[in-house]
Amino acid sequence: MPASTSNGLLPVGSSLSFAGLEQPLQILRALGGGTQGQVYAVASGTEELALKWYLPSCIARDPRLRQRLQQSIRLGPPNGDFLWPMALLEPSEQSRPLIRAQEPGFGYLMPLRPAGYQGAHLHAGGRLEISLQNVLRACFFLADAFHELHLKGLCYKDISLGNLFLRSSDGSILICDNDNVEVDGQSTGASAGSVLGTPGFMAPEVLLGASKPSASSDQFSLAVLLFRLLTRHDPFRGRMELSIRCLDEPARRRLYGEDALFIFDPADPRNRPDPEEHPAALLTWPIYPAALQGLFVQCFGAGLREPPLRPLTGQWKQVLSRCLDQRHTCMHCGEELFHDGPCWSCGQTNPPPLQLQLPHGRVAASAGNQLHRHHFDPHLGETLQQPIASLVSHPSDASILGLRNLSHSSWHGQLRNGQPITVEPGKTCNIAALQQLNTEAGPITTLRG
Amino acid sequence: MPFPNVRLSNRPLHFIYLCDCSGSMAAQGKMQALNQAIRQSLPGMAEVAEQNPEARVLVRAVRFADGAAWHLAEPTPVQELQWRDLEAGGITAMGEALSLVAHALQSPPMEDRALPPVLVLISDGQPTDDFDAGLSRLMREPWAQKAVRLAIAMGHDADLEVLQQFIGPEPAGGGKSPRRPLQASNATTLAQYIQWASTAVVGAASMPASRIAQSDENGSNIPLPDLPPTLLDPTDDVGPLVW
Repeated sequence: MPASTSNGLLPVGSSLSFAGLEQPLQILRALGGGTQGQVYAVASGTEELALKWYLPSCIARDPRLRQRLQQSIRLGPPNGDFLWPMALLEPSEQSRPLIRAQEPGFGYLMPLRPAGYQGAHLHAGGRLEISLQNVLRACFFLADAFHELHLKGLCYKDISLGNLFLRSSDGSILICDNDNVEVDGQSTGASAGSVLGTPGFMAPEVLLGASKPSASSDQFSLAVLLFRLLTRHDPFRGRMELSIRCLDEPARRRLYGEDALFIFDPADPRNRPDPEEHPAALLTWPIYPAALQGLFVQCFGAGLREPPLRPLTGQWKQVLSRCLDQRHTCMHCGEELFHDGPCWSCGQTNPPPLQLQLPHGRVAASAGNQLHRHHFDPHLGETLQQPIASLVSHPSDASILGLRNLSHSSWHGQLRNGQPITVEPGKTCNIAALQQLNTEAGPITTLRG
Repeated sequence: MPFPNVRLSNRPLHFIYLCDCSGSMAAQGKMQALNQAIRQSLPGMAEVAEQNPEARVLVRAVRFADGAAWHLAEPTPVQELQWRDLEAGGITAMGEALSLVAHALQSPPMEDRALPPVLVLISDGQPTDDFDAGLSRLMREPWAQKAVRLAIAMGHDADLEVLQQFIGPEPAGGGKSPRRPLQASNATTLAQYIQWASTAVVGAASMPASRIAQSDENGSNIPLPDLPPTLLDPTDDVGPLVW
């Protein structure tokens, strides 16, 4: 038997009862483990859930763990993108002898990660097939998830590639390891044993020991994670890294703390990516529009040392959703483009795409783009859930572009020749002939250049 | 269109086993246990390597008995590694093994830029050659000074003092520490330690894991992860059992 199962904390295959749970949990299989504990798939009746059980050493080291979990369970998940703790479990008297540790300890139940979600490190390592659009959608969902978490007054403290799962088919995300979450500002004073973050993602003030993790250090770590997802490269590893022979702990402190310099700092080119050593950053950075690049420059420039200057999650949401709105494809090479400049891949120029003018935004008319409520109502926050309309290619002639009504009410409008048109829910109208449509949310007008 | 197929930047992480193959390893199935432990650890090690896109994990192995020789000379990506069994027979040329590794850690052949190497020395006895000469030869190499050096003592006849010298200064206080020789008195514990070294330590030396606030940071260049719990092993030091 491999060591990984023989030293498991919980007995796989048996049923364990827990204080306060009506029915016992069947321990189905070990899902993974780390320095904190082990995670198991469990069955509660017909429902499958995940159970994380802590190692005694982790509980001993982190005296506030139980309190944080109880608080998170009470507050509930910020939105559906978190594998959030559902219940704190302590073994019943009968279960104690079955747990292979001197102290039985405790664990928590959470939703089981559904099939189809893969570790974000696979994307960072170039081993996940995913479109640029879906990477940007994942980035939006991340900004949105931490926006909601921060709005609840919480901070996450350990945003990194290791705590994120992606679904490549649509960019949806799941955030795991939510047991460090705490009310922002509570981790001052004696907090030995609680998490500081993951090196490479930690804000400089936390890495250098000047501050505890907080919502503003989350904003920094979020920007690092977004950059890693969008470029498959690290924001601080440029030419200055090349002088480091052994990349160990003191070297990381310099690279990410004491001497940190953004590789695309507009004023200081000393740490530009090296064409031989860092080709990914040089290829991918020009894909993104100036507004998105600007948020990184702000976070890793002025915001590096001045936490109040870091972009807020709401700014990321707005800029990322506008970036998605302007997605179109290069007519020469077929790559996805997000701004009007020459194609980042083949270098050729394209005519500006046909735009759909909405009361609160513009969307490029390109198959795969979507219209959302926030495009019509400036008081609604950006969301990518429940689009009102989507741009689709004609099933038998991909050169014909249509606008599909995904709402529940009919649209009425007129064609360019003045003829009226009605688009029932689920139906699609040809963009080429369209002048204007009136929807329940507001008007859609085609803008021709 | 898929995300552009970009060439990623990464650094090599050299992981080198130094395995005692002296005659005493033939007793009580120790040699077989070590072969099994290493073989069983490879899938987990490959998984950690995949989770760390910044690292290229490359494995080598030295065997030492009457002399020292490369058992696996080519730095081999862990995903491609198939472990060939070591065989026991001879005495304990540990010093020569350290010299051999010292040569490999010179630049060149070492790359200009890398992650800290991980050296794992496994022994069940006492060196029979000039250990001090081998160790000082090794420690002249800057990459050896930067390396994470771990030692596993198999059975109760291992020379804990030389293993501690290989690791470096003994940490203050008592108890188990990755900066002391790890004592594997049976096959299960050995497998746990080998698995820990090839997964948790490789992870720490490549892309660091979540960092915990600690009062006793030991000032080394790579913070080491907790040792695996070995409560199943009654001979391990778990503190007083009855009082």
